[in-house]
Amino acid sequence: MKRMKSLLVSAVAGATLLAGTQIAQAGESKTNPIMGIPSAALARFGGEYGVHNWVESLFYYIMLDNRINYIFKEFGNVDRQIALNTQLETMVLGGPNEYQGASMSAAHADLGITMTQFNAVVEAAYNACERNNIAYYTCNHLIAALAPFTRVIVTK
Amino acid sequence: MKRVHMRSLRILQCAAVLAAGLAVSQEASADIYNDGKVLLTGGVFTVDGAGGGGAVPWATISGYETRDGINGSAAFTYVNLPALQVSFYGVNVGFWDRFELSYVDSRLSLNLPNLQTVALVASLADLDIGTEPWNSTLGMQTFGAKLRLFGDAVYTSDSWIPQVSIGGLYKKDRNEDLVKTLGGYKTKDYEIYLAATKIFFPISTLVNVTARYTSANEDGLTGFGACKNNGLGTGDCDNDRELRWEVSIAHLVAKNTAIGGEWQQHGNNTGGQSVNINGLNLTPIAGALANLGIDLGSALKQKNEGDWFDLFMAYAPNKNISFVVAYLMFGNISVAPDQNGFYFSTHLTF
Repeated sequence: MKRMKSLLVSAVAGATLLAGTQIAQAGESKTNPIMGIPSAALARFGGEYGVHNWVESLFYYIMLDNRINYIFKEFGNVDRQIALNTQLETMVLGGPNEYQGASMSAAHADLGITMTQFNAVVEAAYNACERNNIAYYTCNHLIAALAPFTRVIVTK
Repeated sequence: MKRVHMRSLRILQCAAVLAAGLAVSQEASADIYNDGKVLLTGGVFTVDGAGGGGAVPWATISGYETRDGINGSAAFTYVNLPALQVSFYGVNVGFWDRFELSYVDSRLSLNLPNLQTVALVASLADLDIGTEPWNSTLGMQTFGAKLRLFGDAVYTSDSWIPQVSIGGLYKKDRNEDLVKTLGGYKTKDYEIYLAATKIFFPISTLVNVTARYTSANEDGLTGFGACKNNGLGTGDCDNDRELRWEVSIAHLVAKNTAIGGEWQQHGNNTGGQSVNINGLNLTPIAGALANLGIDLGSALKQKNEGDWFDLFMAYAPNKNISFVVAYLMFGNISVAPDQNGFYFSTHLTF
């Protein structure tokens, strides 16, 4: 099913490329939680701008956490990671799919991320919500939307 | 003297278990020690020692370890009901978020005027029925193990598949005489349970359903099964295990605070029977007490055992400690009707 979808996505992307537009191939698609993300979720995050602020806070807490900051440091260019994460989170919260990065599995395949490290990012995510005054319940919509990525991100 | 000795022995036992738990978490601190779980996702400490809610064991493995290591915890729980108080001291260790071992020592003190009257008569008559004139105590040890079979309660938000675990508990009552006086049959027995747990993030709620195969009376505190004829553990006795259901619902109002409720189905093995006193005919004692205006017949009849309900609030300021306060609705317990009261628990995680 997933493969079908990504095939479809690449087919569409291919078609658009052929058409001469400059849209890059989407490397990731929306997750599909069983209890869906309400359409107001993105607005409650403050729209794309609010999500960007949240991602900035997220990276602030990630870079302070010695359990995980070195992983992110290795890739340098935190600004680029913030931009890509803003696109990803905007998409999973119900916004348009403008994600230009690699798929979650491709991006994390060689990193050997542990569950402990993944949970550390989740803790940073909650801290970021608190820092940006995003309600706990709203924050959980984002957690629900990102949760399925656990399977491809945590490889150890 | 004997009592004092017993108590100090018990304290030593507790200390040893605690020290063992500490040693495990310290020795292993280099590699194996782990506290990577997100706050409260390991559950708190049940009265059975397993990780879960207050009374209902969940499929989650206790402690803050992830699949990368080991974590342990210790807990103290105090329950205060009109006719009885129970203290639970326990420890458990979680291995790789896969396997859990637990131990709990519980002490239930009965303050029942009707039972105390019997205790007084029994002590005057020099009968050993496990009671003390002013405070009869039921002790129990619970050994537990739990294995996570499959699923992830936390992160599989795109599937209905819950985290499922199987667990076993072995319970051993200390005051065998009193268990038999109260109509119970077995004083040692096992229980097996299957638990399914899932967190629904969009509604910030954890749901757990547990099926337990057991014959316990009041969680085993008053034994297992029943003897209809006498208090000698002989005669018309049975220990029929059955499947009983338990449900926990916990709603997270913040990342460190949960409120919720629980329901635990109970059996009714001893309901309707009179308290047994060494298989003796109670009539002469009843007659003597009747002269004092005490109706022994109905006062010593066991009430129908009620299901357990509770409403709780759990608060975890950090990964080292959490507190649970709960209001319990336990129904009838033994000869005491309508036992509602409070529960306070402290859970220390290493």
